[in-house]
Amino acid sequence: MNAVIRTEGLVKRFGHVTALDRLDLEVTRGETHGFLGPNGAGKSTAIRVLLGMLRSDEGRAELFGGDPWKDAATLHKRLAYVPGDVALWPGLTGGETIDLLGRLRGGIDKRKRDELLERFDLDPRKKGRSYSKGNRQKVALVAAFAADVDLLLLDEPTSGLDPLMGAVFNECVKEASAAGRTVLLSSHIMSEVEALCERVSIIRKGVIVETGTLAEMRHFSRSRLRATLKNPVRGLEDNEGVHDLKTDGLDIECSVDTGALDDVLAQLAVAGVAALTCEPPSLEEIFLRFYGDELAASGVPNGEGAES
Amino acid sequence: MTTAVAERDDLSTLAGTGKLLRFYLRRTRIFLIAWLGGLAGFSWLMSVSLPELYPDAQSRIEAAVLLDSPAMRFMTGPVEYIDVYGDSVGAMFAHQMLMWSLAVTGVMFILLVTRLTRADEETSRSEVVRSQPIGRRADLAAALWLSLIAAAVLGALVTLTVTGIEGTELGQAVLYGLTFTATGITFAAITAVCAQIGSYGSTSNGLAFAVLGFSFLMAGAGYAQESGLAWISPIGWPELTFVYTPEQRWWPLGVAVGVSAALVWLAFALVAKRDFGAGMLPARPGRATAKPGLRSATALTFRITKGMLWTAVISMLLLGLTYGSVLGSADEFLEGMSETQREVLTRGSSAPAEDSFAVTVTQIQGFFALIFALLVIGRARKEETGGRGELLAASPVARSGWPGSYYAAAMVNGTVGTLLGGLGLALVGASSLGWDAFGKLVLAQVNYLPAVWVVIAAAFALLGWVPRFGALRWLLWLYVFIVGYFGSLLDMPEWVGKISPFEHVAEYPLEDVDWVAFAVLTVVAAVIAMLGFTGIRRRDLQFS
Repeated sequence: MNAVIRTEGLVKRFGHVTALDRLDLEVTRGETHGFLGPNGAGKSTAIRVLLGMLRSDEGRAELFGGDPWKDAATLHKRLAYVPGDVALWPGLTGGETIDLLGRLRGGIDKRKRDELLERFDLDPRKKGRSYSKGNRQKVALVAAFAADVDLLLLDEPTSGLDPLMGAVFNECVKEASAAGRTVLLSSHIMSEVEALCERVSIIRKGVIVETGTLAEMRHFSRSRLRATLKNPVRGLEDNEGVHDLKTDGLDIECSVDTGALDDVLAQLAVAGVAALTCEPPSLEEIFLRFYGDELAASGVPNGEGAES
Repeated sequence: MTTAVAERDDLSTLAGTGKLLRFYLRRTRIFLIAWLGGLAGFSWLMSVSLPELYPDAQSRIEAAVLLDSPAMRFMTGPVEYIDVYGDSVGAMFAHQMLMWSLAVTGVMFILLVTRLTRADEETSRSEVVRSQPIGRRADLAAALWLSLIAAAVLGALVTLTVTGIEGTELGQAVLYGLTFTATGITFAAITAVCAQIGSYGSTSNGLAFAVLGFSFLMAGAGYAQESGLAWISPIGWPELTFVYTPEQRWWPLGVAVGVSAALVWLAFALVAKRDFGAGMLPARPGRATAKPGLRSATALTFRITKGMLWTAVISMLLLGLTYGSVLGSADEFLEGMSETQREVLTRGSSAPAEDSFAVTVTQIQGFFALIFALLVIGRARKEETGGRGELLAASPVARSGWPGSYYAAAMVNGTVGTLLGGLGLALVGASSLGWDAFGKLVLAQVNYLPAVWVVIAAAFALLGWVPRFGALRWLLWLYVFIVGYFGSLLDMPEWVGKISPFEHVAEYPLEDVDWVAFAVLTVVAAVIAMLGFTGIRRRDLQFS
């Protein structure tokens, strides 16, 4: 059993709204998997189904090979969860909350807990009601990272954290991954996912529209190419792998399919190159491609264009 | 515009009150329709059925004889009404209705104001509102305006329902209606202060209910002893208008208005003093690590509901002790009676008066204990919609542990509350009736436990199956209360009453304890609770 998380054709409806529309998601053991999508795409719903808080209407979901609805309590021993909006008990201190959550999982490593409190710069003596949003988030993060579990489910865990703490968070995820833990990181912060995740799934309107390693995704995407040439180049617009070509004298700018890079570079070399930059697509660009039509609908011009 | 600048300083903390008021009106429309409709409907029902049950002066005088004892006055009202039962059905109606209807009116306004003030603050809903161009005091002001409007409408509706009572004047009906308005305003003001003290909605509710309970006891004790004690009770003032009697007077309502104004002023002063989201008690640094006992979802539930348990313990013990003291005087009173009077009072049986009183009191204590237990069930829903339960639900905790442990907490709360009420009653009662009475009174209270359990289980089942409509549990409570307390006065089909578990309990010590009914009700409670657990296991959890 190599898949820690596997869903097949998962459907979840809330009244007339279909939050998950045949979702297929797979996360293999030991990987750090990015789960990308804007607000309302179904990320949290998917995670809550995996946590057995919501019952799916159709399809299958597996967690460690078990049924996340029926075996919820047993399966939860092997995972820790950080919601995007942590609500704490107003009368309990952060320390008490962390201890309680640890004990529910069968005990807490005191040394690790204190070390994490230090790293996240969190005062455990404050009452839940007096923590800010970022500090509430830290309470849940400390509890999760201190837990001796196989899987971390992190649902937009860094919302409300400052950049310094964001860096501490990245370190902690890397350590967890190095210790062999599986991580599902739902986020819409591209740099975070790019820095941490080996594989990424992009969700849109309850469906996974793309999944793979970042390298694979880049492969199926286009690089941005800018060049200043010594002589004018011809025939570039005839190349099927070239898009959005702009020519300004000897300066050219275009997007190139990964498969057509060879040909294009050869053509440019013939004309002679004075300067050249070629950037692989950022995750953000890949992501926006899947949402191009939505951006267009809300009036945002999108250079990458909708899928052609 | 120039005048606006000058006004801004004075009004800035109240800016936007009007907008908020419309918003609140919309948010609470179902709550208001249900409560106003319920109170007015009940008033109408009683105004029709009471004159039918007591059509002539003779029947009313007989009833007056039965009621004119400290024990019965404790639960109805002052002797001024009883004296004129024969002359006016209106006086009898007011005497029978006011104390309890006003207490229920108090409940309505406590829930209304807490919901719009502290409960909103607790869930950061009002954080969104306060970030708007809306003054710091505007939400409290809007909540109080809404209460004022609701109280006025309630008064008008009640007035309408009683205009049809034979032999009464419009002025009397208006005064009768105004007693409801005054009570609504008073308890809205009391709750406005309570909401500033604690930092939870449940603390605010708990404090306000404690005040209500205290008012209720003081009013009752004042009527029973014919002392001035009722004057310190917000529930006392409206009934001291002696509406429908020749001694009718309006000015006690002025006391209610004056006290309310002072309380409103205090609430606004407190709002200005405290930080958003905080109570009056300063935040102290707490424990850095959890106590060893805090190691399960159930332990957490009991910790969270600890305050509610203490409120129940103290309130119920006080209630029991007070009823117990009246029980003693009931006996003395009986001795000074003629043979015939005694016969009327004891329902024709040879049983002593305190026995029939014990039946009524133990049942009422069951109703009171239920209020606290149902508040615990309500807390479970808040933990869920407030999102706090999400961390627990993601932990290795079965649904029976969370939110299921709230059923256990409510059961402990309801059982302990009921028993302490019985203990208080028995302790003081036995001091005057002799120690033989101790066991009898405790057993009389234990007798009602299974009925209490059934209602708690039903409230839990609502949480399990129709969480969005969990507030129906208050309707359930109102139903068992009305059937239990007013049932004999209401001309209703028998089966309607038989739905209430309290109606299946034998009237011990008037009759023997029906252990079969006791066992059956216990089993019914267990079965309903099981159903509740099934519902809890089957449904989605609804976090924010």
